[in-house]
Amino acid sequence: MAKPILKFAGLFAIVAWCLFPFVWLIDTSLKINDLALNSPNLFEGPIGPNNYLSVIQQGFTYNLRNSFVVAGTTTALCIGMGSLGAYAVARLRLRGKAFLLSGVLALSLFPPVALVPPLYEVWRHADLLNTYQGMIVPYVAFTLPLTIFILTNFFAALPVELEEQARVDGASHLQAFYRIIVPLAAPGVASAAILVFVYAWNEFLLASTFAPRDLDVQTVPVAIASFTGSVQYQRPIGTITAACVIVTLPMILLVLLFQRWIVAGLTAGSVKG
Amino acid sequence: MDFAKRARDSDGGREGEHRWTLSEAALARLFVAPSVLMLALVALFPVLYAGSLSLYLYDGREREGFTGIANYTHALSDERFWQAILATFTFTGSSVTLELLIGLGFALLMAQAFRGQGPTRAVILVPWVIPTVVAAQMWYFMFNIQPGFINHSLPLVPRDFNWLGQKGWTMSALIVADVWKTAPFMALLLLAGLQVIPPELYESARVDGASAWRRFLHITLPILRPTILVALLFRTVDALRVYDLPKVMTNGTFGTETLSMLVERYVVQTVNPGIASALAVLTFATVLGVSIIFVSFLSRNLLLGSRA
Amino acid sequence: MSEKGSDGMSLEELLGRRVDRRTVLRGAALASLSAPALALWLEACQSQSSTPGNTQLTWAVPAVAKEIRQKTADLWNAQHSDSQVRLSVLPEQADQQRQQIALELNAKSSTFDVIAIDVIWTGEFAKNGWLENLDDVRSKLDGVSLPGALESAQWKGHLWAIPYVTNAGFLYYRKDLVASPPKSWDELMSVGLQAAKGQGIAPFVGQGAKYEGFVVNYLEYMWAAGGNLFNKDTSKVLFNANGEALKATQFMRQSLTAGFYAAGFNTMHEEEARITFQSGKAVFMRNWPYAVSLMNKTGDSKVVGKFDIAPLPTFSGQGSVSALGGLNNSISAYSKNKAKAKAFATFAATDPAAQRAIGEASEPPTLASVYKDLAADPVFKVLGQVLPDARPRPPVPKWNDISAAIQDQIFPAYNGEKDPAAAVEAVRKFLESTL
Repeated sequence: MAKPILKFAGLFAIVAWCLFPFVWLIDTSLKINDLALNSPNLFEGPIGPNNYLSVIQQGFTYNLRNSFVVAGTTTALCIGMGSLGAYAVARLRLRGKAFLLSGVLALSLFPPVALVPPLYEVWRHADLLNTYQGMIVPYVAFTLPLTIFILTNFFAALPVELEEQARVDGASHLQAFYRIIVPLAAPGVASAAILVFVYAWNEFLLASTFAPRDLDVQTVPVAIASFTGSVQYQRPIGTITAACVIVTLPMILLVLLFQRWIVAGLTAGSVKG
Repeated sequence: MDFAKRARDSDGGREGEHRWTLSEAALARLFVAPSVLMLALVALFPVLYAGSLSLYLYDGREREGFTGIANYTHALSDERFWQAILATFTFTGSSVTLELLIGLGFALLMAQAFRGQGPTRAVILVPWVIPTVVAAQMWYFMFNIQPGFINHSLPLVPRDFNWLGQKGWTMSALIVADVWKTAPFMALLLLAGLQVIPPELYESARVDGASAWRRFLHITLPILRPTILVALLFRTVDALRVYDLPKVMTNGTFGTETLSMLVERYVVQTVNPGIASALAVLTFATVLGVSIIFVSFLSRNLLLGSRA
Repeated sequence: MSEKGSDGMSLEELLGRRVDRRTVLRGAALASLSAPALALWLEACQSQSSTPGNTQLTWAVPAVAKEIRQKTADLWNAQHSDSQVRLSVLPEQADQQRQQIALELNAKSSTFDVIAIDVIWTGEFAKNGWLENLDDVRSKLDGVSLPGALESAQWKGHLWAIPYVTNAGFLYYRKDLVASPPKSWDELMSVGLQAAKGQGIAPFVGQGAKYEGFVVNYLEYMWAAGGNLFNKDTSKVLFNANGEALKATQFMRQSLTAGFYAAGFNTMHEEEARITFQSGKAVFMRNWPYAVSLMNKTGDSKVVGKFDIAPLPTFSGQGSVSALGGLNNSISAYSKNKAKAKAFATFAATDPAAQRAIGEASEPPTLASVYKDLAADPVFKVLGQVLPDARPRPPVPKWNDISAAIQDQIFPAYNGEKDPAAAVEAVRKFLESTL
């Protein structure tokens, strides 16, 4: 059934589609000449590491650290709270599940840009401006709905007999949750974790409002938005692309690590095309 | 699914049914409490506050008085609002459909085991991990007539094709950029759903002589239904609120001004908290309406707690 | 029911193995991820401390040209060790700058002492009560700073900011293709079309995308036709009183359809126009002075030595008009160091060394004497001609709304999506509503 050439062509097409803008990104980040930066020709112009040096000089390593802390903490908290909530919805007796799910979802639907002024006021009074917590708290709140939905779906699909077996062996609900369900839900948890991490990593609106300038807390997207060219009006596409490459490489490594976990539940070749 | 009944029926269960039911319900509430608390604190107050703002008339930043629904009637009678609705729904319908199809293809591929599967999965996820602010700028640079990267790279496109300055093509450019960026997100969600399909279902179908397409149609798709609905739900509500991409690429020109852009305009540019909040509530209502449709399909599947 | 593993183990075995391996893996990953995160968090919790006893002034500046701002700050800091100026860099986009300033000042926070604001924000910020009244400093600036810049810092007869840098629009032209710069727009159009045809390039580039820069270009056409938005004290709307606004709109529409405007004109900002001209692909350009030094860099520009600058034309062929831009330093009404902040802002405006450094970085300074010193420089020569006729946009608090209305109406009008007469009428109605 498998036609190797077709498969290979398909694979190549997919890789090309996903990567060609990235090729442009790397190419542009190496260009240092004004004309070259704005030329459609990939090979035009002198190249050099200037953009990367400029980016690092502006304290980008601090931004990377900040983003990592914020995104990592958000993910840990969100998965922790979300998996508990999802398990309750999927497995335990709870009144008003539909209402709960809908309410949780509805709250996260409001256009974030309209929430910024009132949230800013609250944050100011709570002294949460220019802090890690000031970003982590709303990020967790806004990613909980998706996490709960994904994990509920996942938990619900696991066979009930597993817990029953555990309870027969004397485990409480909590123990059944930790020792049986969570390990088996690893692919769902890993997927949700990646989604939350990337959301927190890329979030711009709240970060630029709550932690706009202080290098102690400024995250990557906000920093990139304050990059400038060397002259007035100049679009800093060289430094932006360099920053993007610096940011994406660890993310790719992270993804390479996680992707094994996403499909960890599957054994080799179980879903045959 | 009645846990108590099952407990009573099984051989184990050292606890009496009365204690079991109580502890289960309490535990359930305990598990759910942190999430509910978090959301109530962070999301509920601003939403209610923003909603209340919409009932007042403003002149710029100054509150002038209570006005009830005047801001809403003003917003709903503005042609700009309806154009934003059209733009938003056009964008959402096109990009979500494309993302579902492409995402499903990606997911099926990622689920396979073959040499180089790891790097392939990483490559597929690359578009989505690039920060949105950068991706929007990147696609702007690629589509814009200056420097004209796409114009020069694609064979049939004229050198001075003005993607971002013509009606219709602006929307197409936005959709391409969004699909490129977000199809991996769909793929991830769908992949998680593919994981729960037991391999023996495929095995027995294959033994019975079913072709790959039939296996896909009769095994994969039905089991994947709740996952597809979840993926569609989240992707749709995100697409309905899209802001970064059109703002950077086209600034809302030539029919690409979305609802969120309209809201932002009154929050940041021509500041008027009354109109901004009214528009935000209207946007919220629109998005909520769409999501209710999805959830009603979904809850039947989720809450029953068992596979089809 | 059993879950089949790769080697068909029983449920118990599988679960046992899975729990062990997964728990260990998970624990290890969590530990390895959280340990450095925790460490970094703790390290990040340390805050910056400032030396006690000294005042620290915070100067909020836009991200563009922040090196030049730093130079000004350095010059002050060298002479004032007891009140050091520290830059707080705002985002690159004007909208985001305004939003961040608004958030801080609306909350009455004392984070900023001195704020470098765009000339078009004076009225709005003053009306909101965010700025300190600076009438007492005026005597130091009269006759010292450029009058146009000084005017842009005033609202309702009071001074709300201190001039810092200024800006005005130029006409750039290819002197190897055009003998002398035309004095009227109609002549410029025909000369441009002619010269471009021979070369296979575009006649004209400017700022035609939907943003403030477009409003600047449009106003320059409207003023060139003799039009006005308001009268002198902004008590009456004069927009399109004699059809000037409509004429300007129709000129832009015609330029687009006749091919006078380069392809993609309606997506151009300052940079796209500059790059097109710098690559030799345009005969004329309307832009700010910053482009001159960039386009003279050999190896980076295809028009080195091939271009020159001149004042923008009018429709009548007489005189010239351009839009005034620039940055003024305002003092936050909530600053805790107002006296020192005022001293710094005045220094930035009147110190010859500081202003000359700005001029040498190719930004037009506001200290009038610098223009005499740098008269030999061709850019400053033309600047000296152009600046007296540079017109500020009306210093009204509602300027942002007006600009948005012009963008909403005139942008589709010149692109053929709206009837020009209807668009002009809509703008006029809106202007009336702001009075």
